[in-house]
Amino acid sequence: MRAGGQKWEWHIEPRYWRNPLIYVGILVVAPVLIYFIYPPLLPTIIEANLLAAIAIPLALMTISTGRMNFGPQFYIGIGGYTAALLSIHFHLSPGLTMLAAAVGGLVFGFIMSPMAIISGGLYYSLLTLLFPLLFLEATYIFTDLFKGDTGLSGVAPLVSTGYFSLNLLIYAFISLTIMLVYLFAMDKIFRSRYAIQMAAINDDEEVANSIGVNVNKVKILGFTIAATLVAVVGWFYAHYYQAFSGQIFLPLSFMLKIFMVTMLGGRTQIYGCVIGGYFIAFLEMILIRLTGDMSPVLFPIILLILLLVLPEGLFGLYRKRRYREYMPTLRFRR
Amino acid sequence: MAEILKVSNVSKHFGGLTAVNDVSFSINEGETVGLMGPNGAGKTTLINMICGSYPVDSGKIEFLGKDITKLPPWKRCKLGICRTYQIPRPFPELTTLASVCVSALYGKDRPNRGLEDAMTEATHYLEFVGLFSKRNVLARDLTLFEMRGLELARALATEPKLIFVDEVMAGLNPVEAEKAVRLIEHAKDQFGVTVLWIEHVMAVLMRAAQRVIVLHYGEKIAEGPPQEVANNPMVIESYLGRG
Amino acid sequence: MLGALETTLIYTCLLGSLYLLVSLGFSLICGVLRIFHLGYAYIFTATVYLTWMFMTLFGTPPYSTTVLVIAIICMLAVQAGIAVAIYKGLIVRYLQHEEIIILGLLFVAIIVEQAALRFYPIQTGVYLETTVIRGVSQLGQVTVSNQLIFAAILGIVITGLFVLFFLKTKLGLAVRAISYDIHSSRLMGIQVQRVFMFVMVLTLIPVILATLAIAPIWAVDPYMGWGYMSIAILVSVLGGLGNIKGTIMASYIIGFVHSVVGFVFNQPVYMGLAALVVVLVMLIVRPQGIAKSETVW
Repeated sequence: MRAGGQKWEWHIEPRYWRNPLIYVGILVVAPVLIYFIYPPLLPTIIEANLLAAIAIPLALMTISTGRMNFGPQFYIGIGGYTAALLSIHFHLSPGLTMLAAAVGGLVFGFIMSPMAIISGGLYYSLLTLLFPLLFLEATYIFTDLFKGDTGLSGVAPLVSTGYFSLNLLIYAFISLTIMLVYLFAMDKIFRSRYAIQMAAINDDEEVANSIGVNVNKVKILGFTIAATLVAVVGWFYAHYYQAFSGQIFLPLSFMLKIFMVTMLGGRTQIYGCVIGGYFIAFLEMILIRLTGDMSPVLFPIILLILLLVLPEGLFGLYRKRRYREYMPTLRFRR
Repeated sequence: MAEILKVSNVSKHFGGLTAVNDVSFSINEGETVGLMGPNGAGKTTLINMICGSYPVDSGKIEFLGKDITKLPPWKRCKLGICRTYQIPRPFPELTTLASVCVSALYGKDRPNRGLEDAMTEATHYLEFVGLFSKRNVLARDLTLFEMRGLELARALATEPKLIFVDEVMAGLNPVEAEKAVRLIEHAKDQFGVTVLWIEHVMAVLMRAAQRVIVLHYGEKIAEGPPQEVANNPMVIESYLGRG
Repeated sequence: MLGALETTLIYTCLLGSLYLLVSLGFSLICGVLRIFHLGYAYIFTATVYLTWMFMTLFGTPPYSTTVLVIAIICMLAVQAGIAVAIYKGLIVRYLQHEEIIILGLLFVAIIVEQAALRFYPIQTGVYLETTVIRGVSQLGQVTVSNQLIFAAILGIVITGLFVLFFLKTKLGLAVRAISYDIHSSRLMGIQVQRVFMFVMVLTLIPVILATLAIAPIWAVDPYMGWGYMSIAILVSVLGGLGNIKGTIMASYIIGFVHSVVGFVFNQPVYMGLAALVVVLVMLIVRPQGIAKSETVW
């Protein structure tokens, strides 16, 4: 047994070590190239990074609780509205609003984490599905605060250099940083002893409990951390669009986008989330360019077809050639 | 010999059914105690209660002098109680090595153990049960005997003081059964654990246990050295029926 | 005081019976097929907009009753076809992977909603002349539209028919058996696939009837499905997924909550929230729902 873990087959194989660096290199260089060649693609890159940045903590949440949370966009709403409201009414700087958004995600995540312990799989999915819709309804009810119909506007931007494309480039790098930080953090977690814990819980909760794993703590921690990370993405959305409306982020259509990113990436493979994010973002952009106003109808149709044809995601096409199932797979409990 | 487990008047009801009724016994350090009884006598329920999977309806459980009746299962494990399962419950998607690693990491009260150290330790336990060659096989691909070995390794990796072995013989052929008994005897020698052995097969308990407790319909009907219990008329009646 | 009691009672009965129609199908699919038909919302939208599409196809405004009837028949056929297609294409293949089914069904609902939005935006003025009884009645202190009373009575009748069906007929027995234990049912010779397909088409009926009955008096827009579906979800979860007795009780409880919040306290915006709180409390106290079993009866 060598220290360093490279000989241990549970990891992704050693020769993949070099790939992430090339990967990261491409991701960093791409926005710069696009800035010079064709700047209108930059918003797509930003969207791709953000989608991946939501899918990655979602993988953590799913693996640590052992159930699928069907309403991750709830925390986008929390982060986004916190940031937007604080920016508009109290003129807090983006740094402070990010802190506030993170705290909001932490608090709400912590309050809602017991759901993962108490409710069985099916009820948990239902409740998590309903919460964003309720949030949306709340934004309509308390419309003077949340401006449910029109959305909040007038949020301070993160950068303003005066040049639109340059702004976009900087936003692209910030979103890329967020995503890479999440990716790196999750990768570390999934290679550590915490991952074994989570895998054990996923497989058989009761047995894990009886050999000394504090199941509840793992679930609460995983849920809360994931919620915080997702809330920060919500913060970014608010400052990037300089507006925030629950109508865009809370309904099911956004949730389905996030889930397709996860699915295409191979469920819980976090590197796959990046690929999935870029795929979905570019797909959406191409559809809008090509079909205009039919795209809201065609986009879900194409996604549905992808879902049926590629249940393992794009990673599955690769996986089928070398089948090694050592990562904790997702089990959806009843 | 010091008393490490003391069970006092525990009972468990499931709706109208009384699974365990006012059972009391104690276990001393270093003993091998057998727990016997026909099917449905409440043996597994009793073990579940002591390990923490089921809450106790009434009664008290003390381990090493501490009252553990209200502790969650993982805390009891850290104190030193562990069990194997009658129908093996491996972690199907984890490799053998990873399964034992989980216990090595989390079964004891050593919070800062690193992954590599745990893996090294896990290999020692795997070697002990003879599964070192299967360390990278998925747990669901093992044979029954190997799975039982994995269960034992997993339990031993938590460095328990008291281990519950639940019907290890079920489904094994005589050769494997012999190996299993020897394995547990070795475990006692090597790791210094106290064993509570739930078993149907009388021959095993005759040979391995110093004391046998018999349950019937949730009540303790006999306790004592194996020879004595085997000749106890109530015990014979519980297995074979009256007349 | 008495007036409030009267209002509550009347609206509880009316709303409860209506919610029965809406939730029965969802609950049945949960109990028998053991999947969460999260695309349930599409049935509402599809009913309205398919009928409208056929109406515009076969006739010109103002639409005569004959055109309406033909349109409804065509719509029924298409709906049945869609249900079977969903069953064969999606559910049968992925019964082991529930996430895929749930996502796929959600996609179907979104596709229908977006298609309706694209082809018949809100300004088109879709209106289904399906009023059976016109006018309003005065029940005590409350004025309700006759159509609503008709819908409520329809709810009770249909539920009664369903219960009779499940209790007295052979096919109903098969459905109940499957909800108890699917493997044993297969061993007994029940053709599970066919029964599943039958259940999927059967559960369309109460929903279509409810939608057609309600369309003239309540708003019709491409997003209408979600509101009804959340009621269906809440009722099913409260009553114990799949259990008809529980669903019946839960419909009236939710009807009660809605009528109290909406008509006695006069805060209709909080109706959804109140219902959810009730369901959440129930889930914490008794996670299996009112009826502690998850089988059909």
